[in-house]
Amino acid sequence: MVEQKEKEFRKRDLFFLVPLWLLSLIAPDPYLYHKKEFKKKDLFYLGAICLAPLIWSDPHFHHLMVLAGIYAILALGLSLFMGYAGQISLGHAAFFGIGAYTTAILTAHHGFPPFVALWASTLSASAIAYLIGRSILKLKGYFLALATLGFGEIFLVMVRESTDLTGGVIGIFGIPWFSVIGFSFDTYLKQYYLTWGVLTGLFIFSKNLVRSKVGRALLAVAASEDAASSVGINVPRVKLEIFVLGAAFAGLAGSLFACVMSTANPEAFSLGFTVLIVMMVILGGMGNIYGPIAGAILLTWLMDFLSRYQEYSLPIYSVLLILLLIFFPDGIGTRLNVRVIYLIGYWAKKKKRDEGKL
Amino acid sequence: MSLLSIEAITKEYDGIRALDRVSLKVEKGSIKGLIGPNGAGKSTLFHLISGVEKPDSGKICFKEKNITSLAPHERSALGIGRTFQTLQIWGNMTVVENIMAGMDRRLKGNLLSYGFWLPWIRTSEKEALKEAKEILDSLDLLGKWESMASQLPYGKQKLLELGRALAMKPELLLLDEPASGLTLTEIEQLSERISQIRQEGVTVFLVEHHMGMVMEIADEIAVLHNGELIAEGTPEGVKKNPRVIDAYLTRRNRNQDAQN
Repeated sequence: MVEQKEKEFRKRDLFFLVPLWLLSLIAPDPYLYHKKEFKKKDLFYLGAICLAPLIWSDPHFHHLMVLAGIYAILALGLSLFMGYAGQISLGHAAFFGIGAYTTAILTAHHGFPPFVALWASTLSASAIAYLIGRSILKLKGYFLALATLGFGEIFLVMVRESTDLTGGVIGIFGIPWFSVIGFSFDTYLKQYYLTWGVLTGLFIFSKNLVRSKVGRALLAVAASEDAASSVGINVPRVKLEIFVLGAAFAGLAGSLFACVMSTANPEAFSLGFTVLIVMMVILGGMGNIYGPIAGAILLTWLMDFLSRYQEYSLPIYSVLLILLLIFFPDGIGTRLNVRVIYLIGYWAKKKKRDEGKL
Repeated sequence: MSLLSIEAITKEYDGIRALDRVSLKVEKGSIKGLIGPNGAGKSTLFHLISGVEKPDSGKICFKEKNITSLAPHERSALGIGRTFQTLQIWGNMTVVENIMAGMDRRLKGNLLSYGFWLPWIRTSEKEALKEAKEILDSLDLLGKWESMASQLPYGKQKLLELGRALAMKPELLLLDEPASGLTLTEIEQLSERISQIRQEGVTVFLVEHHMGMVMEIADEIAVLHNGELIAEGTPEGVKKNPRVIDAYLTRRNRNQDAQN
């Protein structure tokens, strides 16, 4: 019985390695201009996403992939802001929280349908992002990081203290499953298709931005703001737009999260969560649109896998992250295949060198 | 009427007067050179025109419109393009994207229309790519259109920066030391290119240390020294102006004194 459980685990773990490797094949050099167009490979990945839960019909795997999909939406928005526009945000979890609480309050307290709450969450997160972004986006570098961090903490305190509205530290329970015109997403499999469907849509949207004028303006702002304004790019506006878009993604992800977990409590939106999302973006590869998705899948799976080791999980987790950052400094979504070849070559040469010395 | 007119502009840094009541005009369709010893305030003047810095007093007019209080991108939107003394290309993009990003102000449409890839976005992006390739072709950079801009050699990066400024179709082009760091053949090509730009109807205002080049291509030359405008006129006239000779010679003498 125990043996069989082990086997199931291995099968599932293998699954995660295969798409990661495939993701890495997309772009050994994602910077080439023509590589930014949609290719047949993208269709292949879409097919893999559609078929994966049917082949591995394990509910735990489905649930994990639902979470990975939600985190990927969040990381995708942050990746546009961090990886492309070159800004730092450590308060992104707050927008996720705003989305989750908007949905929780509207559905559990006021009986609105989740579909309406989804749009309300997206709008409220982006409206708040617009209001605070107008002032804090004038800051740069570490100062921006600190300001966004402060915003995240203020949000947490407000949620914990306003007990009447948010239920304080206990949170809000009993959020209904997501449903559209009577069709309820009540199993993990249905939720999988919901989140990954939304993610696919947002991915196409983001890739359209990245390969066009908007993406060029973002990269220009990241590289040199003086040069960007010298060709007529409105730098503050570009930053604000992408900040609001990232917040809208986060609000949408938060709404889905609330519906999937059926609770919203402040623990889910702490600083640790922000760091996790930032790690997904960095591990996946800054300035690579496939990166946040690869990073989200990897980290979600890693956390679940390591939870078996209980108290050792955090040390192992951190060591793995350090190793990944050493060997994949450009992100796993960018250079996996190049690096693997490099490593094989390195060891082969090392053997030869050692033999030569002997 | 002149395209750009600067009236009694003053700029101080911590009590040091970088520019002192400087007034000059750039006529439409001309090539105007700005020279002067190091620290004369040439780059400061350029920063003030392009809006990176604001003057303490004085007025800058472009096409008879007061632009003194406008933000840099608003000035570029009016048609002022520039290159930088310290090279400022976008190394995180490909060569062709650098040029296409330079067209930013001419491409219409907001974030949502690009995200949903509306039909007219597709055509405008295609046209932008085609036009960018034409610009690269005219600069002899077409062979490298897909490589990263940071991988180009220095001289080519300089050309790319010029191409980017041209891509925004400016009416006034500010060139901050375009020839610095270039080889002699590259400087010759550059002079040719600048004359060609003028024939296409663009007014050029350039700061340059390479005297041979300025004297050859400029219609008019202004000389700055210690933040003051000491001479203005044709290259021949400026060459013979005693104050200009004095400014350059005293500086040279001082340098020699310092060495001794």
